[in-house]
Amino acid sequence: MEISDYKGRVKPSWCPGCGNHAVLAALKKSMCELNYQTHETAIVSGIGCSSRFPFFTSTYGFHTIHGRALPVAIGLKQARPEINVIAVGGDGDGLSIGGNHFIHAGRKNPDITYIMMDNEIYALTKGQCSPTSRTGTITKCNPYAWTADRINPVLMALSFNASYVARGYSGDIKQLEYIITEGLKHKGFSFIHIVSPCVQYNKVSSFEKIKEIVRNVPEEHDRKDKLNAMKYAFAPEGLFTGILYQNERPTYEERFNEVIRKAKEISGDNCTMYDIMKQFQ
Amino acid sequence: MKDIKIKITGTSGQGIISSGDILSYATARKGYYVTTYRAFPSEIRGDGKCYYTLRISEHQALTATGETDILVCLDEDTIYECMNAVKPEGIVIYDSNLVKELKQTREDIVIYGIPLADIANEVNSARSRNMAALGIVVELLKNLHLEEQILNDIELRYKLKSKDIIEVNKKALNAGKKYAQEQLTRKDKYEKAQIKSTGAKLIMSGNEAIGLAALAAGCRFFSGYPITPATEIMEWLAKELPKLGGKMIQCEDEIAAINYALGASYGGVKSMTATSGPGFSLMQEAIGLASMAEIPVVIADVQRCGPSTGVPTKTEQSDLFAAMYGTHGDCPKIVLAPMNVSDCFYQTINAFNFAEQYQVPVIILSDASLGPRRECVDLIDFDKLKIVNRKKPDLKEGKEYNRYEDTPSGISPISSPGDKYGEHVITGLEHTEENAPTPAPNVHRQMTEKRFRKLETAAGEFSKAKTYGDDNASIGIISWGSTSGAVFEAIDKAKEANINVQALYPRTLYPLPTDWIKSFVKNKEVIIVIEANYNAQFKSTIVERCTHINKGTEVLEFLKYDGTPFTPEEIYEEIKKVYDLQNSKRDLATNKHTHF
Repeated sequence: MEISDYKGRVKPSWCPGCGNHAVLAALKKSMCELNYQTHETAIVSGIGCSSRFPFFTSTYGFHTIHGRALPVAIGLKQARPEINVIAVGGDGDGLSIGGNHFIHAGRKNPDITYIMMDNEIYALTKGQCSPTSRTGTITKCNPYAWTADRINPVLMALSFNASYVARGYSGDIKQLEYIITEGLKHKGFSFIHIVSPCVQYNKVSSFEKIKEIVRNVPEEHDRKDKLNAMKYAFAPEGLFTGILYQNERPTYEERFNEVIRKAKEISGDNCTMYDIMKQFQ
Repeated sequence: MKDIKIKITGTSGQGIISSGDILSYATARKGYYVTTYRAFPSEIRGDGKCYYTLRISEHQALTATGETDILVCLDEDTIYECMNAVKPEGIVIYDSNLVKELKQTREDIVIYGIPLADIANEVNSARSRNMAALGIVVELLKNLHLEEQILNDIELRYKLKSKDIIEVNKKALNAGKKYAQEQLTRKDKYEKAQIKSTGAKLIMSGNEAIGLAALAAGCRFFSGYPITPATEIMEWLAKELPKLGGKMIQCEDEIAAINYALGASYGGVKSMTATSGPGFSLMQEAIGLASMAEIPVVIADVQRCGPSTGVPTKTEQSDLFAAMYGTHGDCPKIVLAPMNVSDCFYQTINAFNFAEQYQVPVIILSDASLGPRRECVDLIDFDKLKIVNRKKPDLKEGKEYNRYEDTPSGISPISSPGDKYGEHVITGLEHTEENAPTPAPNVHRQMTEKRFRKLETAAGEFSKAKTYGDDNASIGIISWGSTSGAVFEAIDKAKEANINVQALYPRTLYPLPTDWIKSFVKNKEVIIVIEANYNAQFKSTIVERCTHINKGTEVLEFLKYDGTPFTPEEIYEEIKKVYDLQNSKRDLATNKHTHF
């Protein structure tokens, strides 16, 4: 596969300079590196600027409704475990309206990768506070004062028991490629948080300001050490990027294989509708 | 005797439902037809009352509602509550350990006070009063020869629990039977009661019929969230789907449930979810997505009293508007309404076929009286069922595949992930034939028409509306769904009184088959629309859509919204009222003529 093979029919509609361009480029490179076939790959998104993503690649894609990328992606993966399933979306989509699904994706551990492009704002609706907007952000919807605190998606993923948790930044495309490739390779639910600045509506979290606080997780960090990962995720000073946590455990698909195996122990391998009908006779 | 109606009542936790289930399975397995009705409170244990009615008959009985032959009461309150609905010469059985003296009685029925608690205690199981009572019933109806089958069924039912439970239940049943043999002086007329056995048949609930049909239709993915009274569908499929390699997934909420199903269906696997009112409301946005992105999916709504949490365990047909119009935007979909348990099976097969063929969401409207109700169903020949699969495109290298190609039928061939050269993006945004999002006015108009054109194509495939009664009747009943049993019985009863009535049951409610309705009303003077909701939801739809009715025929409504299903008796009374009214109008018209 060549990187150009992943070019979609639709030209990216993001603003020039938007952080999402880097994420698209990194994902294409990662897919290419792993030799993902376009017909064996599906990218599922919700609603928002970053959720337009599937239109810009040549794989299968499903642009769903606001907040629902994860349930659609997990449903697809359970129905077709052999397909590479990637969910993408923004902070409002995944943490606000779709927040509940994030919790349960973590505990179910489906073998999918979830890339969250966090611009700390609702950009498609032209700039309202999102769950990750920084303290003090004033928008048209809170013109007088700051009213709600921000949440930490990486800390959430760790506490929801996601089996792979990484953080990146749109200004460092090399690291993005690395954490996305590792996330795609990871067996289980991999959550990749990417701080991806909005150049139009968010002056608080601009490329320059994020760049100042970005730090790499130290080389010696033990990826299986969840408490330490939480410390990096929660660090009041600096934005730690890299792979914070990785610890494989049985995936949702593997657990369902066990369900099917046990059911077939009772019914036999060649169970027919007539066998199932017998219970009603 | 053509049929016997038995009603077991008591407080929840007394084993009313399990004894009723055991009795109904045993009767069906003996080759009798049986129809049941279960009503229970939403609390698992507490003061709520449970009622289990079963009607054993030679022919397929249409309802289990109405007057009772044998009433078995395990508590005191239900004796007085249900005694009035016992047939003359019928039987009431109550626990004389619990009730020392009846506060109310009837001269024209036979009442047996039986020390059920003593009998149960004799076998060291105070909780087995229900089985002791069942033993009494077995002996009262000894010519039905149910005992052996019941003992078998106790074993089947509790085999996953423990040997002790099986033994205790069997002992209590025998002790009850022995008491009736040795200590009961029979005064009733049921000693010689016999019902002709009519051979092998199936017995299942409406919910199980939907599950079974889903499997038969090729559904291999179900996602749901527990909700009364639909949970039985997901529980049954959780047990059966993996046997065929499929999956039942319990989700975090109903929004997730339907979106999982859409994801799975996008993956090319036939998918469904099931819910009731509150969950159905939550699913509306995704139903619109299925309609817009053209994803096949089946949604069973087992309706209960609403709005909001409403009365979770009681029945209503008040989600029709939500099913037809619940989603925002112009949203093509198909709504089906099965009439009874057997129809639950066949309409669910239709639901999958329509969903796959027309790439639309299909909603099945069952309800709390139909979902848990057990009825006999004739044996099913799975090899003869017509099963439709979605139309695949012809994919070739270098050939552009357009997911939403505008075709004369409106149906665009559909590829799934894994299909080479079939890559595409689907979306809830308006899109071109080439699946690119666009706000262009001409595209939105063209694609809206394309999506609705599928329904026009589909209209030719819908199962015929069921009619019942005399073609020449001047009184017509139009109704839908689970009311059919009570309505058909009322029509039989009216015929005995020389009143001709004909009923029409469209099984497809949306898109509304106006032709059927128009041709049905042609020779009717008056139409009564019968449905279990306050708003007359189907009636207003008919009147609005079939303008012809407004001018020609008088359209009346007969509505019920107390959570209980219609009985044949109350429908018959309504027919009589309408009949008398029509006669007096006719007289009035004749009189006018003579006077002037």
